[in-house]
Amino acid sequence: MDLTFLLQLLISGILLGGIYALASIGLTLIFGVMKIVNFAHGEFLMIAMYISFWLFHYFQMDPYLSILVMAPLIFFVGIVTYYIFIKPTLESSVLSQIFITVGLSTIIQNAVLLFWSADFRSLSLSYATHSIILGPFPILSIGEVMVNPTRLIAFILAISLSIAFYLFLKFSYTGKIIRATSQDRSAALLMGINIDKVYKLAFAIGIVLVGLAGGLLMPIYTVHPFVGFDFVLIMFVVVVLGGMGSVVGAMISGFIIGIVEVFSSYWLGQESKQAIYFLVFIAVLVVRPSGFFGIKKEEELEHIETIE
Amino acid sequence: MIFTGMAVVLCLAILPLLIKNDFYLDGLILIFIWGAFAGSWNILAGYAGMVSLGHNAFFGIGAYTSTLLLLHFGLSPWIGMFVGGLLATCVGLILGLVCFRLRSHYFALATLAFGEVSYILAVSWRSLTGGSEGLALPIQPSLYLFSFSSKLPYVYIGLALFLIGIGISYAIENSRLGYYLKAFRENEDAARALGVRTGRVRLIAMALSSFLSAVIGTFYAQYIVFVDPTSVIRIQISVQVALFVIVGGIGTTLGPAIGAMIFIPITILLRAQMGTSLPGLHMIIYGIILVVVLLYIPQGIFVKLRERVPILKRI
Repeated sequence: MDLTFLLQLLISGILLGGIYALASIGLTLIFGVMKIVNFAHGEFLMIAMYISFWLFHYFQMDPYLSILVMAPLIFFVGIVTYYIFIKPTLESSVLSQIFITVGLSTIIQNAVLLFWSADFRSLSLSYATHSIILGPFPILSIGEVMVNPTRLIAFILAISLSIAFYLFLKFSYTGKIIRATSQDRSAALLMGINIDKVYKLAFAIGIVLVGLAGGLLMPIYTVHPFVGFDFVLIMFVVVVLGGMGSVVGAMISGFIIGIVEVFSSYWLGQESKQAIYFLVFIAVLVVRPSGFFGIKKEEELEHIETIE
Repeated sequence: MIFTGMAVVLCLAILPLLIKNDFYLDGLILIFIWGAFAGSWNILAGYAGMVSLGHNAFFGIGAYTSTLLLLHFGLSPWIGMFVGGLLATCVGLILGLVCFRLRSHYFALATLAFGEVSYILAVSWRSLTGGSEGLALPIQPSLYLFSFSSKLPYVYIGLALFLIGIGISYAIENSRLGYYLKAFRENEDAARALGVRTGRVRLIAMALSSFLSAVIGTFYAQYIVFVDPTSVIRIQISVQVALFVIVGGIGTTLGPAIGAMIFIPITILLRAQMGTSLPGLHMIIYGIILVVVLLYIPQGIFVKLRERVPILKRI
């Protein structure tokens, strides 16, 4: 294989991975803080893509600008969702917690299908139709490498937002109480942290993060009512590989999955590429369910047993 | 108790003879298929507490195995049904062994990935499965080919599967295995400390559940005379079966059947009223019912019914 081509694939993978990272951080945050897996996470990405699309369609609003309008909107959606669906089931069985978000996802997908039909919609930006050409670099015997500008912009913004969120979590007071709650819920409660408020905030922030990723994806992908399902599966892979609840883990494995996806879709074709990362996913779950960059082991995993 | 049960079975056996309309018979068959399938999902999720989102794979294995054996080797689907069941059992046992450490969310995610891989395989392995175009079964009424010109034989085979499903649930519920499974579900460490071989018990539940799912998959394929990834192996099948069980009453004998009796008529009535003019409407209603049940009666409708109706108390 040609070195130029290899570099081309690698760059595409990294650019894709940046967006996966941003989308998955929200999922891992919600799991880390509340110990629930949000199966409707992809649907919020889909809603954000539609908001971005309609703002462009009706008001010709630039998708990168419309992120500013969409973020508070989707934050509000997150808060409402928390009160109606998440809060009442926080103390319920795992089964209820899984299926409340599965139910939510079913409702959102099909409501969108009902109102906006199954049409594939996309938008194109006049200033971003030509690819950016890097190179050639004769010294390294590398030819021209093409970079799609919308993917590059999305990557830069996604990485900046992810780093900004990481710094927020690490250094701000709110970030600290979120981390404290995720580390030890009862200790945080004893220290006078309002757990309910932290949960609400963490859930809404998680939704905003995936919404931002959706806004950045809109100029690249087409949106349809079931687009969220394709993405949520990728996000699960990213989050599990990185360790459920680990923000840094999700960022690193976002890149890994982006690269794996690009390479496997080149070698195996568009259809079978998903099979590869699901097999990776099952392998990770089997070998090391706490992920590779994760924090401490989950309590569920302490039951290690042998089968007679 | 036994008399009530026999009376209900007798009513169910006579009911199809009174319905002359194929449309309603079709509904009845679907209730039996989904009720039985829900029952087999319930063995694993309800009694053992292992929530699987990959049961579409077992259903699909059943449908594809019998169909492929029939198309390529002329093997009767009656035999194909058991071959499919055994194949699904093997796959289920491998999955169970591979995921032996996983609990709760992790098990659900692993099975979801497994279900999705099986769907991708069915779509992309064109030489075997015919890909998205699917495979048509020969329409030639004969007992050997498991194909009939009227709906009545399907109704009775469906009823038999439905009753067998309930019977197995009832047997599990009242057997040592049932207690072991419930002990495992409620507190694994305590169960192990009391000498329950949780690993083995869980694999038995997995094997039973996957075998029955595949058998019902074969019956479904024979009934709709067509097999394609969308109708027999897509992931929504797993979600739908879980939804029936949860709304009906998870971990109960009759809950899964009641779930199917609630949802299938809704689907059929909506289809009859609206046709295809409002896509997705029945799924929205499914989702809303699921959410409302989870929020207000998380044990399911059957448990509520049992509190009200004295006869059901002993089940």
